Amino acid sequence: MEILVNGVARPLPDDLADQALPLLWALRDLLGLTGTKFGCGVGACGACTVHVEGEAVRSCLLPIGALKGRRVITIEALGSAEVPHPLQRAWVAHQVSQCGYCQSGILMAAAALLAKKRKPSDAEIDAAIANICRCGTYPRLRAAIRSAAADMA
Amino acid sequence: MKRRALLVSGLGAAGALVVGWGLMPPRDRLGAVDALPVEAGEVSLNGWIKIGADGTVMLAMNRSEMGQGTHTALAMLVAEELDVPLARVRLVPAGADRLYGNVATMVTGLPYFHPRETEPGQETTPAKAGQWVVAKIARELGINVTGGSSSVVDGWDVLRLAAATARARLLGAASIAWKQPAGELVVRDGVVSHGSGNSAHYGELARMAAATPTGEVRLKRREDWRLIGTAAPRIDAVAKSDGSARFGTDVRPPGLLFAAIRHCPMLGGSPGAVDVAPALALAGVERVVRLGPYGGSTAALAVVGRTGWHAQRGADAIKVEWRQRPAGGLDTRKVMAHLEDQARAAATSDGGFAFHSRGDIASADAGAARHVEQIYRAPYLAHATMEPINCTARVVAGKVEVWAPTQVPGLARTAAALAAGVDEGAVTVHVTYLGGGFGRRLDVDFVGQAVRIAVETGGRPVQLVWSREEDFTHDFYRPAAVAILRAGLGADGLPVTLRVTSAGDAITPRWIERAVPSLAGPVDTPDKTTSEGLFDQLYAVPHQRIAHVATTSGVPVGYWRSVGHSHNAFFVESFVDELAHAAGRDPVDYRLALLKEAPRHAAVLRLAAERAGWPGQGRSRPLEAGRARGVALHESFGSIVAQVVEVSIDNGRPRVHRVVCAADIGTVVNPGIVAQQMESAVIFALSATLHGRIDIVGGVVQQSNFPSYPVVRLSDTPVIETHLVDSTRGPGGVGEIATPPLAPALSNAVFALTGKRLRELPLQL
Repeated sequence: MEILVNGVARPLPDDLADQALPLLWALRDLLGLTGTKFGCGVGACGACTVHVEGEAVRSCLLPIGALKGRRVITIEALGSAEVPHPLQRAWVAHQVSQCGYCQSGILMAAAALLAKKRKPSDAEIDAAIANICRCGTYPRLRAAIRSAAADMA
Repeated sequence: MKRRALLVSGLGAAGALVVGWGLMPPRDRLGAVDALPVEAGEVSLNGWIKIGADGTVMLAMNRSEMGQGTHTALAMLVAEELDVPLARVRLVPAGADRLYGNVATMVTGLPYFHPRETEPGQETTPAKAGQWVVAKIARELGINVTGGSSSVVDGWDVLRLAAATARARLLGAASIAWKQPAGELVVRDGVVSHGSGNSAHYGELARMAAATPTGEVRLKRREDWRLIGTAAPRIDAVAKSDGSARFGTDVRPPGLLFAAIRHCPMLGGSPGAVDVAPALALAGVERVVRLGPYGGSTAALAVVGRTGWHAQRGADAIKVEWRQRPAGGLDTRKVMAHLEDQARAAATSDGGFAFHSRGDIASADAGAARHVEQIYRAPYLAHATMEPINCTARVVAGKVEVWAPTQVPGLARTAAALAAGVDEGAVTVHVTYLGGGFGRRLDVDFVGQAVRIAVETGGRPVQLVWSREEDFTHDFYRPAAVAILRAGLGADGLPVTLRVTSAGDAITPRWIERAVPSLAGPVDTPDKTTSEGLFDQLYAVPHQRIAHVATTSGVPVGYWRSVGHSHNAFFVESFVDELAHAAGRDPVDYRLALLKEAPRHAAVLRLAAERAGWPGQGRSRPLEAGRARGVALHESFGSIVAQVVEVSIDNGRPRVHRVVCAADIGTVVNPGIVAQQMESAVIFALSATLHGRIDIVGGVVQQSNFPSYPVVRLSDTPVIETHLVDSTRGPGGVGEIATPPLAPALSNAVFALTGKRLRELPLQL
């Protein structure tokens, strides 16, 4: 079995690639893409958020059997060191991260939002970022999303 | 004098170490050059600083980064004194040397002196002596702790001195090489130059500097600081925006296996009959390991698998008959009733341990115009760090390697050695980034577990990751507490007497038993954390008795961001608000009347009130209809914070719109990080104030994941402002200090809005 991650078809070991295996563990434990995090396992916290065909998806609940060739993008391919995503630049400019653990998921949720809505309202930001951050980076991530939206306009 | 005697006995066996300390050389915290291992081209100048061939400054980093920004703040101290840009400081792991222990947290945590006795420059003799002795003990024990908001406090002198000493030796080397007076040398961005045209970067001078005597070392004057006091960007900001920051769960040594865990659902219970066959029948499951109690944990079964998911599926498949602990199932309703009984009995009998008494409360009470008495309650709370509890371990040929997101690497090493049955010298601990700590990672239960599992995997490394359910149901919880507060008011409405009698479990003796067993004593000595925030508040009440009854409920209790302050501030600052209203006075004015001898506290309170537009405080600002403000003031970890919370009621629940936060934290190293931490602590406290509670029935924790233990999300987040008082005092704590005042400020606002006084957390209308 293969999954299409960050533009590359990645084979998974046959003996472990159970159809029910959630994408999160395939990424982290089989492919070594550890930027995407495990937080709650029940889709409540959003630490595991990745893009599947551009949609923000909680990878802890998505079985790899359901991917059927759909394209997966993780935090590792959101931007690059040379050309960070505008959100990643805004994240540094606004000094959003504290412990940083939940930030990959929040960045992926925010990127999916901005890809659809160039100028999201506060209510739209609230709805798109239902992620949990125990460090309380919320005020800064809202400001960073707004400033990235302005940069991308 | 009874409590002095207790204090000394509380120092326990460590007291024996006093002998000979007077002979210890000064500056012993700079450490020997060999404390810091060097690689090719590097030169170590003391136990903290080494210089790379290209002039990079390497700092031995002894503190754990869990979001609080301490890596950045400590690197700033060194960059400042060495005159290098922050980007030129690279952090290298500090080893296990006792040099890297935390002195500050023991000095402020062990002896229970009133802040009036420890005011810098005005310390009483017993306080001075007590602090000296404890500092010596702390230095000898060398326990490396990131906690108690102490990292900058602890590093402030030693790191600046280590960097300044290194700088003096580098300049000394240049001076000798160029035959020019050191006083004429200029340093800019790590390059030393002289008007004669000579110039060299630190890397070129380091080898010679290592052979150069230190000479005179002077710390920079405050007015010469370029970096300290600026909002320098965090050094971990980029790695934490692109997924490259390495947390405990991201460690990937070759051949890594994964382990899932199932503790006995009943706290303190154990597995009876176990059928592992259904687990072992699953693909990707390798083995099952029985785990006894490690570091205070409940007994458990671990399943090793090829991925975390396969391991978890195996753990779910095991059939177990779980056994209740011999003492019967824990029940939080019974615990709360017991705490209340204990507090009531002690309140009427001068019972409990009096952490502070002054005046003659009995006769003063008789003369009071009237009395106000109330009972307050706070529940058990979970930490819920975003990174689940985890540890990675490898055991090969008697050598143990551990990768752990831990606040206590030395204790992790001890726990690992114990679990593997080897000497501590055979254990290496690598500290990763911590995906949140909040005190949970001061415990090392998960380290012993991971190492014990790794003993069974034939040399292959194994990563133990707890499910979120295991995290919520097997935490070391913030202890529940009950407090009875009684004040006698004079004719002017100000309190003449204050009696606080609280009850709850003491954390420190339980933590020492499980995490530092070598220091456990035969009896519990009074634990300052039970009464902190109550006994040490500075309101001018002439007659006081502030006492605590330490209970032993059996519930595993641990340090939780701001520890005793987290609930004690709610008790005392809600009660003072009640007194203000009973006296018919404005809550800010009333507090100011009680702070005539505490000018720093009064200034912080005024600043918050003014910036919030509090009526009568300079910049009155009317509120929208349906909103009200509440205020609270609290000192913790050497810093003072006041908050004004603006609240409305939305669908029968309090909704917070704005929190104005003013703080006096002494010298500010990085105001950007301080603002981050104020925001962080406010939101952390808001989750607890509105939602947080852990209930235990029949030994089973009822809250098991975020849906049953809700926390604040973006849509509930208020505007948070931070205002800092200019100060030249030494730095105080930062990471925890804005947690305590939020609950009372919010509750006081709810009272102002609704007339309903809420005396129990979480707040429910």
